Amino acid sequence: MDQTPVIEFQHVQLHIDQQQILMALTFAIQAGQFVGLLGPNGAGKTSLLRLLQKEYQPSSGQIKFQGQPLNRFGQSELAAKVALVSQLSGPLFDLTVADVVLMGLIPHKALWQTNTEQDLQQLKQSLELVGLADKERHSFAHLSGGEQQRVLLARAVMQKPLLLLLDEPTNHLDLYYQHQVLRIARALKVTVIASIHDLNLASRYCDRLLLLSKGQLVADGTAEQVLTQNLLTEVFRIPCLIDQNPFGDCPRVSFGYKDNV
Amino acid sequence: MSKALLATLPLPVRLLLALVLLLLVCFCALSTGSVPIATSGLLGLAPLNEMQETVLWQLRFPRLLLSLLAGAGLALCGALLQNASRNPLADPYLFGIVSGAALGATIATIVLPQWQLLTPLFAFFGALLAVFLVLFIGASSRWQRLESLLLCGVAVSFMLSAITTTLLYLSEPFAANRVMFWLMGSLSQASLTHVALISPLVFITLLLGLLYRRQLDALVLSDESARSLGVNVRPLRLVILLLCAAVSAAIVAFCGGIAFVGLMIPHLVRSLFGLSSVALLLGSVWLGAVFLTGVDTLSRILLPDQELPIGVLTSAIGSLFFLSMLFKYRRG
Repeated sequence: MDQTPVIEFQHVQLHIDQQQILMALTFAIQAGQFVGLLGPNGAGKTSLLRLLQKEYQPSSGQIKFQGQPLNRFGQSELAAKVALVSQLSGPLFDLTVADVVLMGLIPHKALWQTNTEQDLQQLKQSLELVGLADKERHSFAHLSGGEQQRVLLARAVMQKPLLLLLDEPTNHLDLYYQHQVLRIARALKVTVIASIHDLNLASRYCDRLLLLSKGQLVADGTAEQVLTQNLLTEVFRIPCLIDQNPFGDCPRVSFGYKDNV
Repeated sequence: MSKALLATLPLPVRLLLALVLLLLVCFCALSTGSVPIATSGLLGLAPLNEMQETVLWQLRFPRLLLSLLAGAGLALCGALLQNASRNPLADPYLFGIVSGAALGATIATIVLPQWQLLTPLFAFFGALLAVFLVLFIGASSRWQRLESLLLCGVAVSFMLSAITTTLLYLSEPFAANRVMFWLMGSLSQASLTHVALISPLVFITLLLGLLYRRQLDALVLSDESARSLGVNVRPLRLVILLLCAAVSAAIVAFCGGIAFVGLMIPHLVRSLFGLSSVALLLGSVWLGAVFLTGVDTLSRILLPDQELPIGVLTSAIGSLFFLSMLFKYRRG
């Protein structure tokens, strides 16, 4: 069995405008892992995802994708293997849900190719998967933030990626869909790297957690290894307690001050 | 007709309606004017006299082709620029193309009167100069964002307009009048040569727009989202800008300033047909052609014995259109 990691960071540093954003990150992610990126605002989670999208270039160090330097992959070649679901500000012009999901075909279609019956079948399946089968002809701009997020997930499914990047995928979503989106992402059986603010969601769904603080990787391991009282209190600067999640075999984190003021 | 009502019609019926409207406008354009030509004459069922033959083939036919092409081209550029820049107010005017063309025409008419016959060429290069200025300043700014390109377009546009106005102010009134009339837009100088020069540009731009339809759709959401789908955002945007600059420069050079077509038609098409790039581009080409041909015909018959500058009419209709949209949004 091929043991080449899907993603490998080797001493990767990132500077933007002379400011150090990420410091000497070294880690490898194996195929099929669901990895949660944790950390307070400004820790470098989104920057790390952008490095994987080649939006930023490392100042030093190397990133490898499937054993090859990431830079060897062209934009289109990378898009056929890596999909991103990120936050969107409301689009100015209106597209239908089907238009948005079908964009997932861009990396796989030549310019002159039209959509086949199979593509349209796949569109329906992707929308069914995210619970929006009845919204195919609806306007994307008029959907709620949560529904838009699920449409973008359906688009990522259409992209048939090896690696799925989720940038705060559960923002805007109600409780039901917070779990639903992560369950769907898990069910895809691809490698997932998700930046998540909700530590309990991360604990529940991720195989492995990377905790970032001020651009440094301060912990890397399973939920039990990373979600520890001292570490989280220090990184998030707020007292926390850890106990067992009654719904699953994973830690549960509670933050707060005792006096509640 | 509302979008909802249009959507209930099957596609062949909609296409047939579009074709009928286009033919109707073409028919009016060819038959109306100071020398009327009857339907039977146009259809070849009755003979035309010599005067009618000359007017039809030497004047009206090239003018019809030019109005179809200029309307289609301007609306196409507006649609492409609006989607590519995610700005509903983008059109050739916003990127300084028309101000550049105006400066070129002013220089040809006032500063170098011996070159006056080459006014279209000067206007064309003036428009290209404006786009290169916008790209040069926009690309050298540190942020290199979309907003910087748009702001540069506005700045360059005003700067070139200021130079044009100064030249007009300092020139002799007769020459200034000629430029002013040119700036108001007219298709009266139409010839088949103009049509032959503009048509390849419009067709190439339309073809590329249709080939890159998915990429254009992706740009509408966000640059990051488009990039994640493998779209080379900056090169694509640059190619669109340059193509639109060439198309609009060629149209403005031969027809003068025709405002609002590039801005208004794509908005109307969106409200009628939706926004996926294929519907938007083909709809804009069709409606732009129908609109400008209709307006040109109006401009020829509204005043007895003289023509209204077409730019005046398109501006008047455009401003009314946007006011009506504003009221519709307020009510809605």
